[in-house]
Amino acid sequence: MSEILLEVNNLITEFETDEGRVRAISDVSLSVNEGETLGIVGESGCGKSVTALSIMRLLPQPMGQIVGGRIAFGGQDLTQVPITKMQKIRGDQISMVFQEPMTALNPVHTIGKQLTEVLLLHKDISAQEAIRQSVAILDRVGIPSPDIRMTEYPHQLSGGMRQRVVIAIALACKPKLLIADEPTTALDVTIQAQILELIKELQAEMGMSVLLITHDLGVIAETCEQVVVMYAGKVAEKGSVFDIFDRPSHPYTQGLLASIPTLETEPKSKLNTIEGMVPSLMDLPEGCRFENRCPHRKDDCTNSPPPIEKVSESHEVSCFRWNEL
Amino acid sequence: MIDQNSPPILEVNNLKMHFPVKEGILLRASKFNKAVDGVSFHIQPGETLGLVGESGCGKSTLGRCIARLYEPTEGNIKFEGNNISQLKGRALLPYRKHIQMIFQDPMESLNSRHTVGDILEEPFIIQNIGDRASRQKRVMELLEIVGLPARSISRYPFEFSGGQRQRICVARAIALNPKLIICDEPVSALDVSIQSQILNLLNDLQKEFNLSYLFIAHDLAVVKHISDRIAIMYLGKIVESGLGQEIYHNPQHPYTKSLMSAIPVPDPHHKSERQLITGDVPSAINPPAGCAFHPRCPVVQDKCKQKAPTLREVPSKEGDAHEASCLLLED
Repeated sequence: MSEILLEVNNLITEFETDEGRVRAISDVSLSVNEGETLGIVGESGCGKSVTALSIMRLLPQPMGQIVGGRIAFGGQDLTQVPITKMQKIRGDQISMVFQEPMTALNPVHTIGKQLTEVLLLHKDISAQEAIRQSVAILDRVGIPSPDIRMTEYPHQLSGGMRQRVVIAIALACKPKLLIADEPTTALDVTIQAQILELIKELQAEMGMSVLLITHDLGVIAETCEQVVVMYAGKVAEKGSVFDIFDRPSHPYTQGLLASIPTLETEPKSKLNTIEGMVPSLMDLPEGCRFENRCPHRKDDCTNSPPPIEKVSESHEVSCFRWNEL
Repeated sequence: MIDQNSPPILEVNNLKMHFPVKEGILLRASKFNKAVDGVSFHIQPGETLGLVGESGCGKSTLGRCIARLYEPTEGNIKFEGNNISQLKGRALLPYRKHIQMIFQDPMESLNSRHTVGDILEEPFIIQNIGDRASRQKRVMELLEIVGLPARSISRYPFEFSGGQRQRICVARAIALNPKLIICDEPVSALDVSIQSQILNLLNDLQKEFNLSYLFIAHDLAVVKHISDRIAIMYLGKIVESGLGQEIYHNPQHPYTKSLMSAIPVPDPHHKSERQLITGDVPSAINPPAGCAFHPRCPVVQDKCKQKAPTLREVPSKEGDAHEASCLLLED
């Protein structure tokens, strides 16, 4: 068993909105082992991005606040470290790649400036050395003629190339943990395959851990060792990738897996659907949050939230009835 | 049911859509963006043709040409035998009734200041069909067909979720009993559990009303699920087409093969033999010489850089029509 690099315990994050306080994530616990990839999967609004932003302490201010729980990383609790210290950790030990590479890059600065900035900020090196290292990493992420690209602006690059630059910036300081929030959602499949391959290669090379957030179960199956399935701000199920795909134990996970068309499904056959909609975070049910859409619902599902139970040593599920299904 | 014997509902011949690229102080059009560059295909009544390709391959432009939101530069669009490619203004009105469109983003394609009732009634007003009472009745029917509650009629689009909004768009598209619906990425903005609801709805409606679909998407798995035949587009041209099963089991064009191997499979036991293609889709303003796919092709040969391939018949497993355009298949 490898060492745990990041451990999130009972994390609660709330947002102050015009209509009152909204609890975006409740009691989220997860851990990322060294050198491994953990995937968080879920639909829009399930809290997967808020979890990532909480770990990075990048919640929109002043609305977003961590109100409970611990985020243990490198012997400290990230929820408690002062913001100046957090700025030293970000980009150096934990880096983030966002979905939209155009908005993640600054349009008025050259690629070179944005890349050397992170090196100069975290490392005690000269400007020349920073440029040399930047060119080397651009070359590593597969950007042709990197020395020319250094002087160019983001709009001069294609979407796939921009995402490579964002990855280069994130990895410039060789972080221990890379958080990738839907890194390939805005890209075409052929480019997506290139980028996922690149992240895998670099992970093996640098021995870093990856926290990958996506809604695509295909991407999860191909890249992750561990998986967390989130629903309406809570963890529905977590386990190894084989636990989740071979023995999905939460009705939501089962429904999700059955509703994706693959190249093998019979054309025009009826796809499984999960009827209804995700409950609003403003108006969450007392009991299980999936209760209104669950095909296996019983009356006691509405009374209190289901406990987290162990299916196996590596596999946890939050459902009253998983044992009967 | 697909009617193979009747004449095609839609026949497209050598369609071209070239957008002028204006440059310089005088904004002269010195170059052209050849978004669609010589595309031919047909759709039978009751059939779904899936059109797949990466961003910038011209698939949406092609859809918009057929819906006549654009006037194509060259070529014929025959709807039930009548060429509609050069019709203008009022002459198009009768065809608008038969050819409808569903767009990707249901928030942007619904007027946020109109109620759902107004949105669904508008097609009847434009086509001057029925009186207010009969139109209201039909709107209620439409809501029921797409599975929305009757009270939706007085609500506004923002009060609905993404999946429900897409249902409103579907209701609007089928309002006038069209024969052909062009679905441009209708599920790519939706979550997977909602995506399957809309795909099921489209399949049910097709059976019930014998609709034909041109289904445009970048997700090959979704397209394969909903389509009878599939056409794969690259840089303004169709590079391969055939029955869905045939394309899936027996892909011929190197681009189709790489596209299929690039799809992540939701099964951790699956070992991917990925044929990674490098680089990006080139610009349609300056397409590469010879075969447009040659700079990214894993099996490129010297001749591919000079000569452009043409779409031609290739042997298929079941003896069905299967076409591909690759020089390596021509010998």
